[in-house]
Amino acid sequence: MTALPLNGIRVLDSTYVFALPYTGGQLADLGAEVIKIEGPGRPDITRGGGLYGTFPDNEPGEDWWNRPSTYQLLNRGKRSLVLDMSREEGREIFRELVMVSDVVMENFTPRVMRRWGLDYPNLRKLRPDIIMVSNTGYGHGGGPYSSYPAQATTQEGTHGHCWVTGYPGDEPSKAGRSFVDFLSTWSAMFAIGSALRYRNRTGKGQWVDIGMYQAGVMFLSEYLMDAITNGRQGERIGNRHPYRAPQGAYPAAGDDQWIALSVADDDQWLALCRQMDRDDLARDRRYQTLEGRQRFHDEIDAEIGEWTRHHDKYELMHLLQSHGIASGPVLSGKDVHFDAQYRSRNFLERVEYPEESGMGTRILMGRPYKMSKTDLAIRGAAPTFGGDNVPLLEGLLGKPSDQVAGWADDTIITDFPTTGEPSPTLDPQELVERGQLAEWDPEYRQRLGI
Amino acid sequence: MDIGGPLTGIKVLDLSEDIAGSFCTRLLADYGADVLKVEPTRGSAMRRFGPFYHDEPHPEKSLFFLILNLNKKGVTLNLESAAGRRLFLDLVGHVDLVVESFKPGHLDDLGIGYERLANVNPGLVMTSITPFGQTGPYSRYTGEEIVSYAMGMVMGISGVQGRPPLKHGGFQAQYQGGLFGAGATAMALFAQDRHGAGQHVDVSTTECVASTMMATQTIYPFIGGVQVRRADGTMWENPMPCKDGWIIVQAGGGATWDDIADFFQAPELLEPRFADRAQRVRNGPEMDQVVLEAIRNREKWELFPKAAEKRMLFGLVQTPTELAECPQLESREFYRETEHPVIGAVKIPAELFRMSPAGYQLRMPAPLLGQHNREVFGEGLGYSSEELSVMRQTEVI
Repeated sequence: MTALPLNGIRVLDSTYVFALPYTGGQLADLGAEVIKIEGPGRPDITRGGGLYGTFPDNEPGEDWWNRPSTYQLLNRGKRSLVLDMSREEGREIFRELVMVSDVVMENFTPRVMRRWGLDYPNLRKLRPDIIMVSNTGYGHGGGPYSSYPAQATTQEGTHGHCWVTGYPGDEPSKAGRSFVDFLSTWSAMFAIGSALRYRNRTGKGQWVDIGMYQAGVMFLSEYLMDAITNGRQGERIGNRHPYRAPQGAYPAAGDDQWIALSVADDDQWLALCRQMDRDDLARDRRYQTLEGRQRFHDEIDAEIGEWTRHHDKYELMHLLQSHGIASGPVLSGKDVHFDAQYRSRNFLERVEYPEESGMGTRILMGRPYKMSKTDLAIRGAAPTFGGDNVPLLEGLLGKPSDQVAGWADDTIITDFPTTGEPSPTLDPQELVERGQLAEWDPEYRQRLGI
Repeated sequence: MDIGGPLTGIKVLDLSEDIAGSFCTRLLADYGADVLKVEPTRGSAMRRFGPFYHDEPHPEKSLFFLILNLNKKGVTLNLESAAGRRLFLDLVGHVDLVVESFKPGHLDDLGIGYERLANVNPGLVMTSITPFGQTGPYSRYTGEEIVSYAMGMVMGISGVQGRPPLKHGGFQAQYQGGLFGAGATAMALFAQDRHGAGQHVDVSTTECVASTMMATQTIYPFIGGVQVRRADGTMWENPMPCKDGWIIVQAGGGATWDDIADFFQAPELLEPRFADRAQRVRNGPEMDQVVLEAIRNREKWELFPKAAEKRMLFGLVQTPTELAECPQLESREFYRETEHPVIGAVKIPAELFRMSPAGYQLRMPAPLLGQHNREVFGEGLGYSSEELSVMRQTEVI
């Protein structure tokens, strides 16, 4: 095994919510020293629990801001500095940190860093080879929406995703959750890896200006080309495929269990009919070509569903895959923890929390890739709020301890949030009854062995 | 002065015939890498994918192939033949990176898997992007877009209760595999430069999709809960119909709840039953009715800038044509024009993000089939015209 790719690389991570905080967590997995910077009155939204992540066993605890699941996942392996950047003393500390860092990430609306004198032209004066990554809803520059506030939840419509997602003939819809955030997460990974290599070669830094909107639009490139050259609008085709049929999600045995499958060609259609023991369908001339199967897709779906609903979803996958037919079960947030493939690849990692946190062992997703000569893993829990203030200021910046104590007295730095409260927790059993959770499994710990 | 991109000087062989691998190498090429697309002699399968320019099916008119292979050069090479594999190994000796997306084991079966390539070129990085990854019991199973959404947790929470789980539109999983794969690859290229070590990067498209579902995953190991699709009829934070389309609204941002009520000109929203988040969740369907009534006669383009003035989190559902004419994207130079030898001048989505001083570059359109055979095999590897014509006759190239 070789050294971690980002050993010795220091990253200032002044970002909030999902997109770039996740980049920071991924950089920490790769060996970087990632310093998460938040304001005393501006704790990251994911620290509040609720829709942004659950508290362990629904117990906010005294230091609720350190405990939510999503906060833990996104910020694993980082250090935490809480610094009031709205005050000059805070900005001066930030500037000194920039001078000893390799990468700065921020996701303020475009005017903020400029107003603070911390935009790229200014950071570059402090450290000429700094790599700065800015993530905003619509990107910097003079465009009409550049100053608009944005989060993924509403942008999914604006960047076109909802237009092409939805049941056939039905209204535009969403799928997944906040998914454009993760396009920024990985755009930043790609940009930072490229910029670090470039700096290694040339000694030069870089400013990376990511707009989430633009990334979301890029992922619809074939629809854009069809609109630009053929004047076509695209349409919602639900779970179907433009060039294959049948394809869909079909009911499997059990309550709300589903199998997804996709038939590539005429031979696979015949193979599927054989597995269904439906010679009549195989012989039906209407279904023998792709065009026919697309035209009669509804009828075919009903026949397939009538067969699949009597079989277990995994049993169906193994059977269909043995005939080369692409298929797989619809997996829930519970199912993935017991799936043989995820387990075999150790995609979901056990994280042991410090005794004093009372959080025990939890399981968090790692990363969607492996490197053959590098042992990658989640390198530790997410930091407590301001937990590294003193070692960073006294150790890294060499500040005298009385000065650091003075900053704490002035709340330039704090180790507790000065505003905010935990989201109300809702009883999981009540959520099940209201249809907002599929299931609540009080035995989850025994089942997961944690 | 043109200083190129951050990846200028990196040499890449792209063996992929799918969206994910092709998009990964296109991104590398966009930011400066010299990418050589290696196609089978019959052409990449992507050349048969629509949409086509003016709806004319033709191997040089696939718009999907065009946008996934911008900025690359292209050769044909039959890897099924021994002579083809010898040529390929020659090329591998001259590059930093190979990207491929065959079923795991396929290149090993041909005798040109990672171990063999690393013997030829010890510093090589090889990136493989596949539906399930190189290892594990399903690694050789057949993947497809919908299967990655199913197994990656997207479908379980998408769509509405009482109807089937719903997938993303388009090919989001494949694009994700390409972008996330480019991220992992860039890190491996930095490590290669820094530590002198090559390695095999193994990207699973299904795990990429799962990585977008981190909030869903953690609910089980933190409280034992399992997330589900939303109930039919709840629309807040989802597209809601207005006069000429759909809008999406979310509380938060810089707007207070009073601002939101004022924006909709709907004082009912200030009633106690909608006073806080918990109340609004509980009385969601009633709140939806108030908002739907308030926007029934209003237009999305009228509402969009007004919502921004209130610092609201607000979206509208745009069509592909609206996106193609978007002034914000114009201001960001998202679209560029490329001159394709068969299609002619055509506008294309170009720049994923801005980066300077070394940034995005549009250097050339996608390659025609075998366009650079002579340049790469003749001028590059030194084969004579006679040798090249023998290779052509024996369908090596």
